[in-house]
Amino acid sequence: MSSTISEPKAYRAGKLAKLIDGLRYQGGIGQWSWLVHRVTGLGILLFLVIHVVDTFFVVFNPALYDHTVAIYGGVFGGTYYWPLRWAFRLAELGLIATVLFHAVNGVRVILFDFWNEGCKYQKESFRAVLLVFLALMIPAAIAVILPLATAPEHITQIPENVATARP
Amino acid sequence: MARNRIKPAGGFELTAWYFMRISGLVLVFLAVGHLFIMHIANNVENINYAFVAGRWADPRTGWIWRLWDLCMIGLAMFHGFNGLRQILDEHVHGAKARVAMHTTIWTVMTALIVLGTYAIWMFQEDRAYVEQWKAMNAKAVALQPPGAIHPSGGSHAAIRGKLPNIAGD
Repeated sequence: MSSTISEPKAYRAGKLAKLIDGLRYQGGIGQWSWLVHRVTGLGILLFLVIHVVDTFFVVFNPALYDHTVAIYGGVFGGTYYWPLRWAFRLAELGLIATVLFHAVNGVRVILFDFWNEGCKYQKESFRAVLLVFLALMIPAAIAVILPLATAPEHITQIPENVATARP
Repeated sequence: MARNRIKPAGGFELTAWYFMRISGLVLVFLAVGHLFIMHIANNVENINYAFVAGRWADPRTGWIWRLWDLCMIGLAMFHGFNGLRQILDEHVHGAKARVAMHTTIWTVMTALIVLGTYAIWMFQEDRAYVEQWKAMNAKAVALQPPGAIHPSGGSHAAIRGKLPNIAGD
Protein backbone atom coordinates (compact mmCIF):
# COMPACT_ATOMS: atom_id res chain seq x y z
CA MET A 1 0.00 0.00 0.00
CA SER A 2 2.93 2.36 -0.61
CA SER A 3 1.67 4.91 -3.05
CA THR A 4 2.41 8.58 -3.46
CA ILE A 5 -0.57 10.78 -4.19
CA SER A 6 -0.11 12.00 -7.75
CA GLU A 7 -1.02 15.31 -9.28
CA PRO A 8 -4.58 15.54 -10.63
CA LYS A 9 -4.76 14.58 -14.25
CA ALA A 10 -5.10 17.50 -16.68
CA TYR A 11 -7.03 16.41 -19.76
CA ARG A 12 -5.96 17.59 -23.17
CA ALA A 13 -8.60 19.12 -25.39
CA GLY A 14 -10.56 16.95 -27.79
CA LYS A 15 -12.79 13.93 -27.36
CA LEU A 16 -10.24 11.37 -28.55
CA ALA A 17 -7.48 12.75 -26.31
CA LYS A 18 -9.95 12.74 -23.40
CA LEU A 19 -10.80 9.11 -24.07
CA ILE A 20 -7.16 8.05 -24.33
CA ASP A 21 -6.16 10.06 -21.23
CA GLY A 22 -9.19 8.73 -19.43
CA LEU A 23 -8.10 5.17 -20.13
CA ARG A 24 -4.68 6.01 -18.69
CA TYR A 25 -6.24 7.35 -15.50
CA GLN A 26 -3.95 6.26 -12.68
CA GLY A 27 -6.33 3.85 -11.05
CA GLY A 28 -4.38 0.70 -11.88
CA ILE A 29 -6.16 -2.62 -11.32
CA GLY A 30 -9.19 -0.95 -9.74
CA GLN A 31 -9.71 1.21 -12.81
CA TRP A 32 -9.39 -1.69 -15.22
CA SER A 33 -11.70 -3.99 -13.27
CA TRP A 34 -14.27 -1.15 -13.18
CA LEU A 35 -13.96 -0.61 -16.93
CA VAL A 36 -14.10 -4.30 -17.83
CA HIS A 37 -17.10 -4.77 -15.53
CA ARG A 38 -18.95 -2.00 -17.38
CA VAL A 39 -18.01 -3.18 -20.86
CA THR A 40 -18.95 -6.80 -20.12
CA GLY A 41 -22.25 -5.60 -18.63
CA LEU A 42 -23.08 -3.64 -21.78
CA GLY A 43 -22.09 -6.60 -23.95
CA ILE A 44 -24.38 -8.97 -22.03
CA LEU A 45 -27.26 -6.48 -22.31
CA LEU A 46 -26.79 -6.22 -26.07
CA PHE A 47 -26.85 -10.02 -26.35
CA LEU A 48 -29.94 -10.26 -24.13
CA VAL A 49 -31.94 -7.93 -26.38
CA ILE A 50 -31.23 -10.26 -29.33
CA HIS A 51 -31.82 -13.37 -27.21
CA VAL A 52 -35.25 -12.25 -25.94
CA VAL A 53 -36.40 -11.43 -29.47
CA ASP A 54 -35.20 -14.72 -31.04
CA THR A 55 -36.69 -16.76 -28.20
CA PHE A 56 -40.02 -14.97 -28.73
CA PHE A 57 -40.25 -16.73 -32.13
CA VAL A 58 -40.81 -19.99 -30.25
CA VAL A 59 -44.30 -18.99 -29.14
CA PHE A 60 -45.78 -18.10 -32.53
CA ASN A 61 -43.66 -19.70 -35.26
CA PRO A 62 -41.83 -22.98 -34.54
CA ALA A 63 -40.29 -23.22 -38.03
CA LEU A 64 -38.96 -19.64 -37.85
CA TYR A 65 -37.46 -20.48 -34.45
CA ASP A 66 -35.80 -23.62 -35.81
CA HIS A 67 -34.41 -21.80 -38.85
CA THR A 68 -33.06 -19.04 -36.58
CA VAL A 69 -31.30 -21.32 -34.10
CA ALA A 70 -29.97 -23.43 -36.99
CA ILE A 71 -27.85 -20.38 -37.96
CA TYR A 72 -26.05 -20.72 -34.61
CA GLY A 73 -24.96 -24.18 -35.72
CA GLY A 74 -23.71 -22.90 -39.09
CA VAL A 75 -26.76 -23.75 -41.22
CA PHE A 76 -28.17 -20.84 -43.16
CA GLY A 77 -30.87 -21.16 -45.81
CA GLY A 78 -30.55 -24.95 -45.77
CA THR A 79 -26.81 -25.02 -46.44
CA TYR A 80 -24.06 -25.75 -43.95
CA TYR A 81 -21.21 -23.23 -43.83
CA TRP A 82 -18.35 -24.26 -41.56
CA PRO A 83 -16.98 -20.69 -41.07
CA LEU A 84 -20.43 -19.68 -39.79
CA ARG A 85 -20.34 -22.52 -37.28
CA TRP A 86 -16.82 -21.56 -36.17
CA ALA A 87 -17.78 -17.89 -35.81
CA PHE A 88 -20.79 -18.72 -33.66
CA ARG A 89 -18.78 -21.16 -31.54
CA LEU A 90 -16.14 -18.51 -30.82
CA ALA A 91 -18.86 -15.93 -30.11
CA GLU A 92 -20.49 -18.45 -27.77
CA LEU A 93 -17.21 -18.82 -25.89
CA GLY A 94 -16.94 -15.01 -25.77
CA LEU A 95 -20.43 -14.81 -24.30
CA ILE A 96 -19.58 -17.39 -21.63
CA ALA A 97 -16.35 -15.51 -20.80
CA THR A 98 -18.21 -12.20 -20.59
CA VAL A 99 -20.92 -13.53 -18.27
CA LEU A 100 -18.44 -15.43 -16.07
CA PHE A 101 -16.19 -12.40 -15.64
CA HIS A 102 -19.13 -10.12 -14.84
CA ALA A 103 -20.49 -12.69 -12.36
CA VAL A 104 -17.22 -13.35 -10.52
CA ASN A 105 -16.15 -9.70 -10.45
CA GLY A 106 -19.70 -8.73 -9.41
CA VAL A 107 -19.35 -10.92 -6.32
CA ARG A 108 -16.10 -9.06 -5.56
CA VAL A 109 -17.89 -5.71 -5.82
CA ILE A 110 -20.65 -6.95 -3.48
CA LEU A 111 -18.00 -8.07 -0.98
CA PHE A 112 -16.57 -4.53 -0.97
CA ASP A 113 -20.01 -3.08 -0.31
CA PHE A 114 -20.99 -5.32 2.58
CA TRP A 115 -17.59 -5.93 4.19
CA ASN A 116 -15.86 -2.72 5.24
CA GLU A 117 -12.33 -4.13 5.12
CA GLY A 118 -12.86 -5.48 1.61
CA CYS A 119 -11.51 -2.50 -0.30
CA LYS A 120 -8.10 -2.89 1.35
CA TYR A 121 -7.66 -6.10 -0.62
CA GLN A 122 -8.96 -4.85 -3.95
CA LYS A 123 -5.78 -5.79 -5.84
CA GLU A 124 -5.43 -9.22 -4.24
CA SER A 125 -9.13 -9.91 -4.71
CA PHE A 126 -8.91 -9.02 -8.39
CA ARG A 127 -6.16 -11.58 -8.81
CA ALA A 128 -8.47 -14.08 -7.10
CA VAL A 129 -11.23 -13.10 -9.55
CA LEU A 130 -8.92 -13.74 -12.50
CA LEU A 131 -7.89 -17.08 -11.02
CA VAL A 132 -11.50 -18.24 -10.48
CA PHE A 133 -12.41 -16.93 -13.94
CA LEU A 134 -9.60 -18.91 -15.58
CA ALA A 135 -10.41 -22.03 -13.57
CA LEU A 136 -13.98 -21.90 -14.89
CA MET A 137 -13.07 -20.84 -18.43
CA ILE A 138 -10.60 -23.62 -19.20
CA PRO A 139 -13.12 -26.49 -18.93
CA ALA A 140 -15.80 -24.31 -20.56
CA ALA A 141 -13.50 -23.58 -23.50
CA ILE A 142 -12.74 -27.27 -23.95
CA ALA A 143 -16.44 -28.17 -23.88
CA VAL A 144 -17.39 -25.45 -26.37
CA ILE A 145 -14.48 -25.71 -28.83
CA LEU A 146 -14.00 -29.50 -28.90
CA PRO A 147 -17.10 -30.22 -31.05
CA LEU A 148 -15.46 -28.14 -33.83
CA ALA A 149 -12.93 -30.95 -34.30
CA THR A 150 -15.65 -32.99 -35.99
CA ALA A 151 -18.29 -32.01 -38.50
CA PRO A 152 -21.92 -31.90 -37.36
CA GLU A 153 -23.30 -35.44 -37.26
CA HIS A 154 -26.30 -34.50 -39.34
CA ILE A 155 -28.28 -31.43 -40.23
CA THR A 156 -31.75 -31.27 -38.75
CA GLN A 157 -34.54 -31.13 -41.30
CA ILE A 158 -37.01 -28.37 -40.48
CA PRO A 159 -40.65 -28.95 -41.40
CA GLU A 160 -43.06 -26.33 -42.65
CA ASN A 161 -45.28 -24.85 -39.97
CA VAL A 162 -48.36 -26.94 -39.36
CA ALA A 163 -51.53 -24.95 -38.96
CA THR A 164 -52.67 -25.64 -35.41
CA ALA A 165 -54.14 -23.61 -32.60
CA ARG A 166 -51.69 -21.04 -31.31
CA PRO A 167 -52.02 -19.30 -27.97
CA MET B 1 -13.71 2.00 10.67
CA ALA B 2 -15.45 4.27 8.25
CA ARG B 3 -17.08 2.83 5.18
CA ASN B 4 -14.75 2.55 2.26
CA ARG B 5 -17.45 2.65 -0.36
CA ILE B 6 -20.12 5.23 -0.92
CA LYS B 7 -23.75 4.28 -1.19
CA PRO B 8 -26.78 6.42 -2.14
CA ALA B 9 -28.38 8.24 0.80
CA GLY B 10 -31.93 7.09 0.10
CA GLY B 11 -34.89 7.09 -2.23
CA PHE B 12 -34.91 5.45 -5.65
CA GLU B 13 -31.12 5.36 -5.96
CA LEU B 14 -30.71 3.44 -2.69
CA THR B 15 -33.41 0.96 -3.76
CA ALA B 16 -31.63 0.58 -7.10
CA TRP B 17 -28.31 0.13 -5.28
CA TYR B 18 -29.69 -2.72 -3.16
CA PHE B 19 -31.54 -4.20 -6.16
CA MET B 20 -28.35 -4.35 -8.25
CA ARG B 21 -26.54 -6.29 -5.55
CA ILE B 22 -29.34 -8.69 -4.64
CA SER B 23 -30.38 -9.38 -8.26
CA GLY B 24 -26.70 -9.74 -9.16
CA LEU B 25 -26.24 -12.49 -6.58
CA VAL B 26 -29.40 -14.31 -7.69
CA LEU B 27 -28.39 -13.99 -11.35
CA VAL B 28 -25.00 -15.56 -10.62
CA PHE B 29 -26.97 -18.77 -10.03
CA LEU B 30 -29.79 -18.32 -12.56
CA ALA B 31 -27.75 -17.01 -15.52
CA VAL B 32 -24.58 -19.03 -15.00
CA GLY B 33 -26.75 -22.11 -14.40
CA HIS B 34 -28.66 -21.37 -17.62
CA LEU B 35 -25.38 -21.03 -19.54
CA PHE B 36 -24.14 -24.29 -18.04
CA ILE B 37 -27.30 -26.17 -19.04
CA MET B 38 -27.45 -24.72 -22.57
CA HIS B 39 -23.76 -24.58 -23.56
CA ILE B 40 -21.89 -27.15 -21.46
CA ALA B 41 -24.36 -29.88 -20.46
CA ASN B 42 -26.04 -29.58 -23.88
CA ASN B 43 -24.60 -28.65 -27.22
CA VAL B 44 -26.12 -25.43 -28.69
CA GLU B 45 -26.45 -27.25 -32.01
CA ASN B 46 -29.06 -29.52 -30.40
CA ILE B 47 -31.20 -26.67 -29.12
CA ASN B 48 -34.33 -26.24 -31.24
CA TYR B 49 -38.11 -26.07 -30.96
CA ALA B 50 -38.42 -29.67 -29.80
CA PHE B 51 -35.82 -29.05 -27.08
CA VAL B 52 -37.57 -25.93 -25.79
CA ALA B 53 -40.96 -27.68 -25.91
CA GLY B 54 -39.50 -30.62 -24.00
CA ARG B 55 -38.45 -28.28 -21.22
CA TRP B 56 -41.32 -25.78 -20.96
CA ALA B 57 -44.17 -28.19 -21.78
CA ASP B 58 -43.02 -31.09 -19.62
CA PRO B 59 -46.05 -32.03 -17.48
CA ARG B 60 -43.94 -32.65 -14.36
CA THR B 61 -40.95 -30.31 -14.52
CA GLY B 62 -42.11 -27.68 -17.02
CA TRP B 63 -43.19 -25.21 -14.33
CA ILE B 64 -39.71 -25.28 -12.78
CA TRP B 65 -38.02 -24.21 -16.04
CA ARG B 66 -40.72 -21.61 -16.72
CA LEU B 67 -40.36 -20.19 -13.20
CA TRP B 68 -36.55 -20.16 -13.62
CA ASP B 69 -36.80 -18.33 -16.94
CA LEU B 70 -39.47 -15.88 -15.70
CA CYS B 71 -37.30 -14.91 -12.71
CA MET B 72 -34.28 -14.68 -14.95
CA ILE B 73 -35.82 -12.40 -17.58
CA GLY B 74 -37.28 -10.00 -15.00
CA LEU B 75 -34.13 -9.73 -12.92
CA ALA B 76 -31.75 -9.63 -15.90
CA MET B 77 -33.69 -6.93 -17.73
CA PHE B 78 -33.99 -4.66 -14.65
CA HIS B 79 -30.33 -5.31 -13.75
CA GLY B 80 -29.06 -4.70 -17.29
CA PHE B 81 -31.12 -1.65 -18.14
CA ASN B 82 -30.52 -0.08 -14.72
CA GLY B 83 -26.80 -0.62 -15.30
CA LEU B 84 -27.11 1.07 -18.69
CA ARG B 85 -28.97 3.96 -17.03
CA GLN B 86 -26.20 4.35 -14.43
CA ILE B 87 -23.55 4.48 -17.13
CA LEU B 88 -25.47 6.92 -19.31
CA ASP B 89 -26.31 9.13 -16.29
CA GLU B 90 -22.60 9.87 -16.06
CA HIS B 91 -22.36 10.90 -19.69
CA VAL B 92 -25.71 12.51 -20.56
CA HIS B 93 -26.02 15.88 -18.82
CA GLY B 94 -28.70 17.89 -20.62
CA ALA B 95 -32.09 17.86 -18.87
CA LYS B 96 -34.08 17.06 -22.02
CA ALA B 97 -31.59 14.41 -23.15
CA ARG B 98 -31.80 12.73 -19.75
CA VAL B 99 -35.59 12.57 -19.87
CA ALA B 100 -35.44 11.12 -23.39
CA MET B 101 -32.73 8.63 -22.34
CA HIS B 102 -34.60 7.44 -19.23
CA THR B 103 -37.88 7.17 -21.13
CA THR B 104 -36.25 5.10 -23.89
CA ILE B 105 -34.49 2.80 -21.42
CA TRP B 106 -37.59 2.02 -19.36
CA THR B 107 -39.80 1.66 -22.44
CA VAL B 108 -37.46 -0.79 -24.20
CA MET B 109 -37.00 -2.70 -20.95
CA THR B 110 -40.76 -3.00 -20.39
CA ALA B 111 -41.30 -4.12 -23.99
CA LEU B 112 -38.65 -6.84 -23.68
CA ILE B 113 -39.99 -8.08 -20.32
CA VAL B 114 -43.50 -8.26 -21.80
CA LEU B 115 -42.20 -10.11 -24.90
CA GLY B 116 -40.18 -12.60 -22.90
CA THR B 117 -42.80 -13.14 -20.20
CA TYR B 118 -45.47 -13.69 -22.84
CA ALA B 119 -43.32 -16.31 -24.60
CA ILE B 120 -42.50 -18.17 -21.38
CA TRP B 121 -45.98 -17.94 -19.86
CA MET B 122 -48.13 -18.56 -22.96
CA PHE B 123 -46.01 -21.23 -24.64
CA GLN B 124 -48.02 -24.24 -25.81
CA GLU B 125 -46.30 -27.13 -27.47
CA ASP B 126 -47.18 -27.48 -31.18
CA ARG B 127 -47.52 -31.28 -31.10
CA ALA B 128 -48.14 -31.62 -34.84
CA TYR B 129 -44.96 -29.68 -35.62
CA VAL B 130 -42.86 -31.71 -33.18
CA GLU B 131 -44.26 -35.00 -34.54
CA GLN B 132 -43.47 -33.98 -38.11
CA TRP B 133 -40.02 -32.79 -37.04
CA LYS B 134 -39.33 -36.14 -35.35
CA ALA B 135 -40.57 -38.12 -38.37
CA MET B 136 -38.47 -36.08 -40.83
CA ASN B 137 -35.30 -36.36 -38.77
CA ALA B 138 -35.68 -40.06 -37.97
CA LYS B 139 -35.72 -40.61 -41.75
CA ALA B 140 -32.78 -38.26 -42.34
CA VAL B 141 -30.63 -40.07 -39.81
CA ALA B 142 -31.67 -43.49 -41.11
CA LEU B 143 -30.81 -42.51 -44.70
CA GLN B 144 -27.28 -41.51 -43.74
CA PRO B 145 -24.97 -44.35 -42.77
CA PRO B 146 -22.78 -43.03 -39.95
CA GLY B 147 -19.58 -43.50 -41.95
CA ALA B 148 -20.81 -41.27 -44.76
CA ILE B 149 -21.38 -38.24 -42.61
CA HIS B 150 -18.81 -38.69 -39.88
CA PRO B 151 -15.64 -39.95 -41.59
CA SER B 152 -12.56 -40.10 -39.43
CA GLY B 153 -10.29 -37.24 -40.32
CA GLY B 154 -12.76 -35.79 -42.83
CA SER B 155 -12.52 -32.04 -43.27
CA HIS B 156 -15.50 -29.74 -43.08
CA ALA B 157 -15.16 -28.87 -46.75
CA ALA B 158 -15.19 -32.53 -47.75
CA ILE B 159 -18.27 -33.19 -45.67
CA ARG B 160 -20.23 -30.20 -46.91
CA GLY B 161 -21.39 -31.80 -50.10
CA LYS B 162 -22.63 -34.93 -48.33
CA LEU B 163 -24.98 -33.17 -45.93
CA PRO B 164 -28.69 -33.31 -46.65
CA ASN B 165 -30.41 -30.15 -47.75
CA ILE B 166 -32.65 -29.05 -44.90
CA ALA B 167 -34.81 -26.88 -47.11
CA GLY B 168 -36.55 -30.14 -47.90
CA ASP B 169 -37.30 -29.13 -51.50
